[in-house]
Amino acid sequence: MKTNRQLNTRTTLGIISIIFLITYPPIMIGLARVGVIREANFYILQIGVQSLYLAVLSMSLAFLAGYGGMVSLGQIAIFGVGSYAFANLVAMNGHPAWVGIIAALILPSIVAFLFALISVRTEGIYFLMITLALAMLTFSFALQNRNLTRGFSGINDTQAPWFDPENLISSSTTFYYIALIIALAVFFLFSYTVKTTFGLALQGIRDNARRMRALGFNVTAHKIAAFTLAGFVAGIAGLLGVWYNGQMSPGAIDLTRNINILMIAVLGGLLYFEGSFVGAIFFVLVTTFASTFTNWLNALELPLKLGFNTLIGITFLLVALFLKEGIMGLFWGFLLKDEEEPSAT
Amino acid sequence: MQQFIIVTLNGLTQAALFFVVASGFSLIFGLMRVVNMAHGTLYAIGAYIGWSIWDTTGNWWIALTVAPLVAVVLGVLMQRFLLTRVQGDDLQEALVTIAVSIIVGDLLLQRYGGAIRQVQPPEIITGATTLLETESLRVIYPTFRLFTLFAAILIGFLLWYLLNRTKLGMVIRAGIDDRAMVDALGINIDRTFILVFGLGALLAGLGGFFGASALSLRPGDDGVYLLSSLIVVIVGGMGSLGGAALGAILVGLAGQYGLAYTPTYAILITFVIMVLVLAVRPQGILGRNITR
Repeated sequence: MKTNRQLNTRTTLGIISIIFLITYPPIMIGLARVGVIREANFYILQIGVQSLYLAVLSMSLAFLAGYGGMVSLGQIAIFGVGSYAFANLVAMNGHPAWVGIIAALILPSIVAFLFALISVRTEGIYFLMITLALAMLTFSFALQNRNLTRGFSGINDTQAPWFDPENLISSSTTFYYIALIIALAVFFLFSYTVKTTFGLALQGIRDNARRMRALGFNVTAHKIAAFTLAGFVAGIAGLLGVWYNGQMSPGAIDLTRNINILMIAVLGGLLYFEGSFVGAIFFVLVTTFASTFTNWLNALELPLKLGFNTLIGITFLLVALFLKEGIMGLFWGFLLKDEEEPSAT
Repeated sequence: MQQFIIVTLNGLTQAALFFVVASGFSLIFGLMRVVNMAHGTLYAIGAYIGWSIWDTTGNWWIALTVAPLVAVVLGVLMQRFLLTRVQGDDLQEALVTIAVSIIVGDLLLQRYGGAIRQVQPPEIITGATTLLETESLRVIYPTFRLFTLFAAILIGFLLWYLLNRTKLGMVIRAGIDDRAMVDALGINIDRTFILVFGLGALLAGLGGFFGASALSLRPGDDGVYLLSSLIVVIVGGMGSLGGAALGAILVGLAGQYGLAYTPTYAILITFVIMVLVLAVRPQGILGRNITR
């Protein structure tokens, strides 16, 4: 049960956040015009769009892990199917963009359904291992199968259909708003889903699968459905990702990227979909500006040279050790100290 | 025919490495239910540190002894200071080992760069051995790869002896079946955990040094051996030594046959093996149903 004050705090903060997200591009363009920041395009595209597509992918994992108890390390592979579907059909074989978009909406769900058939009978840590193996096999397949993916070098020129190199700001802004609409839609889709009968049953399965089975619920079917839904969302993230990167190669779905997504979701808090946004923004800011920091550190001539991944790893370790519920868990816990946990439905 | 024999031998060499590395992974998982995502990193430590020692001292045997011990130290430190803090929480345990693998992997990359390296074993075990010579057929194979194969068999035998004929092995096997009961019987399970983690790290480090000597050493190897360990134990069965051997042979051979005969679809063979095993025997071919 949610108390009124809690609902009010959450709603108010939510509205403020959405207003900020909507006004972000004009603010950046304005700041660039007065000279506070150098280039608005960088902030809209590299920071804005990148955070949004990562947040979408992270939400698909948070939904499965937080509410289905399925920590899937296979989301990056399904993301990759969405990216490759568009890249292969549109950039490699010259089909119109809408064909690629439709393929990227359908194929990832099918692959997710197949992955689910393989993996949902297992639980907990086995599930994590099997989905990780599936993701790494998909990566190896993308690397090996040159006919479909052009192997290591990948497929170039996979920009969004509205991409206009003559007018970067305007195409980035369009991209930003499309990504924002998708990200918010996914946020409300998942927030709604976990409150439906289906979502409640899923949480029941997360907490005690055996009891749910005894109550007559088809546990496997629920899990497969959840996994397929999350796969659909991961595929959309793949479409945004391939547009953002402008090319697609196996490197986009390797182990490092996979772990990055897990880190974003955990950092934000697996039980909080808004956490995926916070985690993604935090991650993008750290990766963007960490090299400045490591360059500074390495200038001190320490015995070990540090890469920015070391910083990311250390952040991750601290989160894993001390911040079990993620940033949002800490934030809501602090803000709504006296209230019941928002997730304890 | 000659190609087939060579490919088979390549597959078995690869299987030998997979077995050594994956048996460590499987032991750690079997006893502690920890998915050691840093297992590939321990492999890389064995390989890179081994390369450094070999490069400075010029002595392969010193490197063989010391490099795996460095992996042991890292593994034990990780278990003692990090994993004990989050014991019992699957996800957090996986996250902690992932974080360690990111940090160590990055430090290795910064230190050694992206170059492909190789360790040259001493002369007695290098060169080529003629395995078979008839009028129509001549099979010559690198001596060191044969040595690797025998080393893996020896390691497998020693592990079997440790697990089945010693007190520690008894505790480990009992712990795999029922951890709480072993604890209740007054055995210091925490100390056993550290020993097993050290043993697993030793196997990963050994595998790394052998891999760097028999094949090569390149960035990304940590991921390759993490994946192979995962698949080997999924296919063979968690916590089972025989399962690790069987899984390693299947995955090693499938990989090499695939690369030789259908290069673009090679990985799919491994994929199909994994899916078939999961469909028919979710606990792995030689795995038992383990209760938590």
